[in-house]
Amino acid sequence: MSRYLAAVVLLAGLAHPAVGAAQAAQNATLRRAQQAYDNLEYRQVLTLARAALRERLTGAERARAYELLGFTYGAMDSILKAVDAFKQVVLLDPERQLDPNRVSPKAYSAFDVALRQVLLVRQLRVDSVSFVGGQGAVPVRFTVTQPARVVARAIGSGATVVIDSGAWNGQVNLRWPARLPGGDPVPAGTYTLVVDARLGQNTFSASQPIRVSHGRVDTLPSVTSLPGYQFLPETEIPPQSWRPVGLAFLYTGGALVGTLGLESSSLGSSSKRELGLVGGAALVTGFVMMLRKPAARPAQANILYNHLLRDQIARRNQDIAKENVARRQQVQVTVAPVSPVTPK
Amino acid sequence: MTRAALGPLLLALALRPAAGQLVAVGPQFVLADYREVASGLRYRGNGFGGALWARRNRFSVEAAVVRLSFDPVAGSAADSGFTATQVDAWVAYDVAAYASIEVGVLHRSVDPEFDAQSVGALRVGARSFYQIGPGATVVFRANYLAAPKFSGGGHAAVSLDLGLGLDVRLAGRLHGTATYAFNRMNRRTNPGGTGEIDAPIQETVARLGLALGF
Repeated sequence: MSRYLAAVVLLAGLAHPAVGAAQAAQNATLRRAQQAYDNLEYRQVLTLARAALRERLTGAERARAYELLGFTYGAMDSILKAVDAFKQVVLLDPERQLDPNRVSPKAYSAFDVALRQVLLVRQLRVDSVSFVGGQGAVPVRFTVTQPARVVARAIGSGATVVIDSGAWNGQVNLRWPARLPGGDPVPAGTYTLVVDARLGQNTFSASQPIRVSHGRVDTLPSVTSLPGYQFLPETEIPPQSWRPVGLAFLYTGGALVGTLGLESSSLGSSSKRELGLVGGAALVTGFVMMLRKPAARPAQANILYNHLLRDQIARRNQDIAKENVARRQQVQVTVAPVSPVTPK
Repeated sequence: MTRAALGPLLLALALRPAAGQLVAVGPQFVLADYREVASGLRYRGNGFGGALWARRNRFSVEAAVVRLSFDPVAGSAADSGFTATQVDAWVAYDVAAYASIEVGVLHRSVDPEFDAQSVGALRVGARSFYQIGPGATVVFRANYLAAPKFSGGGHAAVSLDLGLGLDVRLAGRLHGTATYAFNRMNRRTNPGGTGEIDAPIQETVARLGLALGF
């Protein structure tokens, strides 16, 4: 019983990727083949799929027919035949990818072997990017299924530029600076990014149209502050203290001591009425000032700090002005893919 | 303009704060004590005067003129009073945030002429000033009175002048001022060629006034 259940689950997994294909199939024979596959009638699948391939099919339908054959041979343990069928699938649809979580390991390994036996350039991708001409690059990546001599070019009405070439296999990542040999940015327009792979007599090309546009480089705004730095108040209110009355006492005491010290012994003690009047006024004023909120005074450290900060901002703005002069002479290059990969 | 309108206008001007005050001028009421030769020759007086103060950068100028009426105090050997006109003037240069050096003159003329000594001298000294609160400044000064000249003759090798001052901004441009001055002159004279004798002079003055800043 458990064996039967396992077989059902496995077959259901094998059938699943073909369901979507059957839904889109227009050819009646191919639809019948799909139904037979859904009913686990493998002999009939083989017969009907082969019959469908002898009929007039679209490229997608032919790929589905070979895929049904591949899955069926895989289920029937005819691995070599499954590999041959999957080779036809990837030749017809190089971007075809199986989900290892949804197909049987046998089918997946057969598909993987098929991929390695056919020279393909797959999954050619160009990321949308925008950069200042000469200061950036366009990321280009693709997969070569066999070790091959590969040349990547950008072909457009304005120019044809070789991006890179080499003997590569597997995932390849390139960076195209979008420049002409002279160093200038490639002219604006539509280009086709072509990747040619050659292995002996076998060749394969994949292409991706892209659009290159030019724009003005954004200039930088002047700064009025520096991140993390703030102007400090240039005055500060000192804390209340006894200093006013202390100073009044000190100054008055100085006058009193001086007067007592300078008094002539022959003239007798001088009048203290005048000193009492003025000294008393000074002490009262000092006492009042001690109780009052002190006056704001210049904060020299903050003034110096603000001065240095203003100098820094002025220097930064000078740099920005120079940078903007340079930026006004630069070109902002924007590259974007315009349609999916088209196999040739 | 009528006098009735002039009063409120001056008051309004006085209460308006000055943007950058460079000049202050105002009247003063003065109290004074004067002693000469011996402890028995003592006078007390009062009077009125005026003061002017001006500043430009580190330089400042100060001048005060007062007219005093002195009367003998009870128990004094003097039997009549006199009037005196005293002029004090200074030119100061700030050498630090709280200190200045200064030179100036002191001149006191007496009427009747020989009831007391008329004096003229140069001042050389220094002063210290400190702001003890918003608009309140205290000043302490010490001057050496150089080359004093006396109407009765004689000389004084050691003559000193001490001062204490207070300036408080009362409202806007209006300031209150109080100044204390003590000067002592060790005058020696030789009357009739009989030999030098001490004839010291000692004066204390308190000036209380108002000033208008511009």
